Amino acid sequence: MTETLLWVLPLVPTVTALLMLTTRDRRILSAIDVCGSAILLALTLVLAREVAKGGPSALGLLRIDDLGLVFLLLLVVLTLAVSIYTVGWLKQAVAVGNMRAESLRSYFALVHLFVATMVVTVLADNLGVLWIAMEGTTITSAVLIGYHGHQHGLEAAWKYIIVTTIGISFGLFGTVLVSAAAAAHGAVGADAMSWSAIMKIAPMLNPGIVRIGFIFVMVGYGTKAGLAPMHLWLPDAHSQAPTPVSALLSGVLIKCALLGIIRFQTIAAAACGPAFPAEVLLVFGLTSVVVATPFILAQNDLKRLLGYHSVEHVGIVALGLGFGGTIGTYGALLHVVNHGVTKALAFFAAGKAIARYGTRDMRVIRGLLAVAPIGATLLMLAALSLAGVPPFSIFVSELMILRAGIGQGHWVAIAIFLAMVVVIFAGLLHHVGAMAFGEPTETATREPEAWSPLLGMMLLAAIMILLGLTIPASIDGLLRRATEIVVG
Amino acid sequence: MSAETVRTIIDDLGALLLFTMILILAAGQIYRAIYAVAAQSLLIAIAAAVLATATGNTDLWVIAGITLTVKTIVLPWVLHRVVRRMNVRREVEPVIPVAATLALAVMVVVMSFHLSATLGPVNQAITGNALPVGIALTLLGVLVMATGKTALNQMVGLFASENGIFFTAMAVTQGMPLIIEIGVILDVILAVLVMAIMVLRVRSTVDADIAGLDRLRG
Repeated sequence: MTETLLWVLPLVPTVTALLMLTTRDRRILSAIDVCGSAILLALTLVLAREVAKGGPSALGLLRIDDLGLVFLLLLVVLTLAVSIYTVGWLKQAVAVGNMRAESLRSYFALVHLFVATMVVTVLADNLGVLWIAMEGTTITSAVLIGYHGHQHGLEAAWKYIIVTTIGISFGLFGTVLVSAAAAAHGAVGADAMSWSAIMKIAPMLNPGIVRIGFIFVMVGYGTKAGLAPMHLWLPDAHSQAPTPVSALLSGVLIKCALLGIIRFQTIAAAACGPAFPAEVLLVFGLTSVVVATPFILAQNDLKRLLGYHSVEHVGIVALGLGFGGTIGTYGALLHVVNHGVTKALAFFAAGKAIARYGTRDMRVIRGLLAVAPIGATLLMLAALSLAGVPPFSIFVSELMILRAGIGQGHWVAIAIFLAMVVVIFAGLLHHVGAMAFGEPTETATREPEAWSPLLGMMLLAAIMILLGLTIPASIDGLLRRATEIVVG
Repeated sequence: MSAETVRTIIDDLGALLLFTMILILAAGQIYRAIYAVAAQSLLIAIAAAVLATATGNTDLWVIAGITLTVKTIVLPWVLHRVVRRMNVRREVEPVIPVAATLALAVMVVVMSFHLSATLGPVNQAITGNALPVGIALTLLGVLVMATGKTALNQMVGLFASENGIFFTAMAVTQGMPLIIEIGVILDVILAVLVMAIMVLRVRSTVDADIAGLDRLRG
């Protein structure tokens, strides 16, 4: 059963993508979109139950364990929310000419291919497959980023494809080094690249080679994850992509790259002791938090603001992994989920506001609460959560990461982290407060809010608030088992 | 073939690979860079074939065949077409002067040999200088991508660094597992096609090179 699901899961979005090519009608396309995503979610829930009962299972180059499941669940939930949001978003985008009605099917097909490649990155046991799927996400999403076809979109897409391809070349190089270290201890053929096979012999691997391999991988997948200073592509890509794609990029894609890093972190921790990968993660994490801050404060472009904010939060996850221990790792994994859900919600709400005012410039967006009360409330909720206000979910995971840092005595890192979080808190609330309140700008349309984007947003808001108030036992158990895999 | 002969051949091929890399770095015209990277891919294919004969590993024959058809013939042909469609024959304008690039390249090569010395205990499939050459090719390819001012230069750099990774993999583990190598090559083909489309798209809307656009800031 579980084995069957392992090969069926990547097939679902692939088949959905192919089905898209059979029609040009927007309504039918949207229906296929929502159905495909719903089936993917349903099958993943079945898989989650099987794994909770029967433990990890593998099929050839693919494997599912609790760690992968955390990321898979995030991926499929966000995919469904994106599909629901897209229904109303697309109607509006076609009406104002942002999307051409005759090329919609290729857009939908690409989105689902993008999802399929991300599913494979999460399910990959073989580190080579992980890399191939990761490069696959680059190719499919690059086309989506440039989808609007104007010059700026293509510039962002080019920058994205070049920077991440350079980065990910380092990732492959690191993978080859680690597999060479494994091959020296009798792993042959595909086993030399299989994560589960390498983990069995990891303590015996030559620490020198693994150390260099891990640094290469960290730079490689770190580029894709948007860790500073390799984040240069991220704000451009996130701001230029169509809004649903921005939500997928920020909510899931950069998290998939983090999963790649975590996989190598466990190998490196076993081979050279946990202190070495932790140190590397702390350096990249702190750099990201510090680098993102000034850009968040001085930003005028709403989507770029959210992009830089993702750099900060990926940095926070890296810090959590770096502080390590059970609390730090649990906090980091919880933060992956919280940030994914909240950031997707923020992009959705921002996308609706941008459509209403016809600009991404935050100085023009004023008085949103008066023209779109529900959308504005959701945007404020998302911003409050992103800023780390209790009782929202991000507050909980940030607190855990802080506790882990204090427990380990990383005082300097904690001080820098806290200072930056406070500054960003003020900056973000200032930006969003100015947008929500005040007299509405003349140019804003006052048409009623469409139901489907609101439904997609409320789904995410519900998860965000729930995870802030309490972590359900099933999710808690999943996160605990995933933490065990990382901490060992 | 004796192990000694194989080592000599691979070392000679490694020297030629570095030479093609210098040709790419110093190429004044984009055509020359494309021919140089095609020649480099040919050398990689020959290296794979030599190793295949020496070790009897049939997977390496397949890899040699794919490298020959895809990287030596098809992809350079695609690049060639893009250049013709773009109708640019002007010089490649380097961001930093050629002399400085070459000096940087020498440093990278020296560093690669140093790095591979610290990797001493790797159980190499081929002894000799294959590993440092692989590392140098990878890093120099990245250098070309990072300093290349035109889109096509960056694409040539991508090939070169991919060639370097393949060569490294051959040096340390007789190549990656076949299915992975095929997947990687497939990714490269798709990436190049997508890049080619984007380059031509920008060329047809505005009279500019996609790599030269710099409107997104802050």
